[in-house]
Amino acid sequence: MSYGKYLIVFAQAHHEFRIPELHSVASLYGFDISLPKGEIETDRPYMVVGLADEKHARQLAKRCILIKAIYEFYAQGSTYEELHTRNRANQALWTRYKLDTSFKFFVTAFNHKIPQDRQRQVVESFSYMDFLGKIDMKKPDITLGCFEEYIEKRGLIRDRHDGDGQFQQAYFGRLIEEGSARVLVKMFDVKKRQYFGNTSMESEVSLLMANQTLASPGKLIYDPFLGTGSMAYPVAYFGAQVFGSDIDGRQMRGKGSTPGVFRAAAQYGVSARILDLLTFDVTHNPWRCGGLFDAIVTDPPYGVRAGAKRLGRKKELDPERQALYWEHRNNPRPDDQPYIPPTKPYELSNLAVDLVQLARYLLKPGGRLVFFLPTVTEEYEEIDVQSMLCEGMEVIANSLQDFGSWGRRLVTILKTTTDSYSPPTFDLNTLEDASSSQHVPAHRDFREKYFQGFKPPAI
Amino acid sequence: MVRLITHNLLACHAKGCNSNNFPLPFSNVQIEIREAEFNPEFLKAFLPKIEWKALVDTAKQLGDMSLPLEQPEMMDDDFLKSFHHVLLEIHVEEGVMTCPNCKHEYPISNGIPNMLLAEHEIG
Repeated sequence: MSYGKYLIVFAQAHHEFRIPELHSVASLYGFDISLPKGEIETDRPYMVVGLADEKHARQLAKRCILIKAIYEFYAQGSTYEELHTRNRANQALWTRYKLDTSFKFFVTAFNHKIPQDRQRQVVESFSYMDFLGKIDMKKPDITLGCFEEYIEKRGLIRDRHDGDGQFQQAYFGRLIEEGSARVLVKMFDVKKRQYFGNTSMESEVSLLMANQTLASPGKLIYDPFLGTGSMAYPVAYFGAQVFGSDIDGRQMRGKGSTPGVFRAAAQYGVSARILDLLTFDVTHNPWRCGGLFDAIVTDPPYGVRAGAKRLGRKKELDPERQALYWEHRNNPRPDDQPYIPPTKPYELSNLAVDLVQLARYLLKPGGRLVFFLPTVTEEYEEIDVQSMLCEGMEVIANSLQDFGSWGRRLVTILKTTTDSYSPPTFDLNTLEDASSSQHVPAHRDFREKYFQGFKPPAI
Repeated sequence: MVRLITHNLLACHAKGCNSNNFPLPFSNVQIEIREAEFNPEFLKAFLPKIEWKALVDTAKQLGDMSLPLEQPEMMDDDFLKSFHHVLLEIHVEEGVMTCPNCKHEYPISNGIPNMLLAEHEIG
């Protein structure tokens, strides 16, 4: 297959999430994307990729949260001389616009501001292209962009135009499509949401998660730790239907007779796609069968502001209190509040292992599990994520959102197996001793580590 | 708003309750009908996951007789419309689901069922 080259201009955010998002959106629309060979410096704002069809570039620009714009790539160079030579060699790409196409031409820079007179010089240096159409800054037929990329100089005291022209690389191309998914970041802004909580996920990240799930019409997606529903809204916005459950019904309900999650969903026009909300502990769940969902997306509570809970008691009742419990169960007083069963903490590394097994059971073959795993930056090793996998489940993306001494990893796991597996037993807690000899991941006891400031415990 | 698609996927999961634990019959229900997006591809793809008899019986219990007793081999438009309506547009807002086997009652309030188990019901 022959690929055309396209220049992607990325938004300056979440750079580790860029490539997974490209792959996911390509996979959603069923096309291939060829990335630069060798090690990719993901923090650079420009990337040249190969696509078989211009249509694919438009699909990427309309769906990727981290894309600002996509250009048909004409040339690049570390000097303008180099860029022009290559641009001339590629004239087959642009000669058809020479005669009577109206155009707009702009020059811009990353990490730098180009003085006006040099901007004009740069534009004039392209005069060999002989574009005869009229210049139209408002509604041009085509837009040509030239981008200079500078090394970041933040924090250095310098003159305004210091180092002008000393760019790392300059890129040139024709605009195909401005990114139109970034406006969703504002639209889903948590502060403007009808209903949210103190652990609601920020909108940009929840949209990135939604893209990792390949959400689209006809898909069925489940969040087993729904909370205030942050991930449900973007997933439903992209057309999927959503089930949510949580051990704490109050999180989903909020105040008022209409549950908060439905109120927020109505604000985004997606309440019909929230199929149902259910109160249950995922370790004692009522799903009748597996193989149901196209994706499971969740941000498990990891204990800093709210810890994960599961049904059970930390300590078993003594016989006397056990007898009292039964007496109370069998003769409830009529004015009693609804019974609320006791819960105990759900340790994060156990939860992660359980979640992968649960996903293997509940996902369709080819389905995806997308979730956040908090981790201690200094102690993290790749095996932390590998060690929670089970047969038939493979990590396909793992991107860090770095907060300094800790961070959280957006992990995407693919169900590669078509075999049926039985539901997990969720009995890791009772096997704690047996696992002590095994690898201890950095996210074990994350809450304790967080409050100790990630220092080793004092001796 | 327990819809019948959800109801068709829920079984009693109390400790030791492994047979005759599905479907969970409704009682004392308050029902609302709300329109949902019609997506024939989704319906066709989801049909194999449905326990047909349970769906038909439950719909009947809630007063909807539009589904055929036997799952049809040909899915024409009329059938898909009825199936869509029963599966996605009937919402049980209030009521109780009771396990036919162990009699555990799962209450529904403001459309959210409480499927939590008591401490003697977990393994």
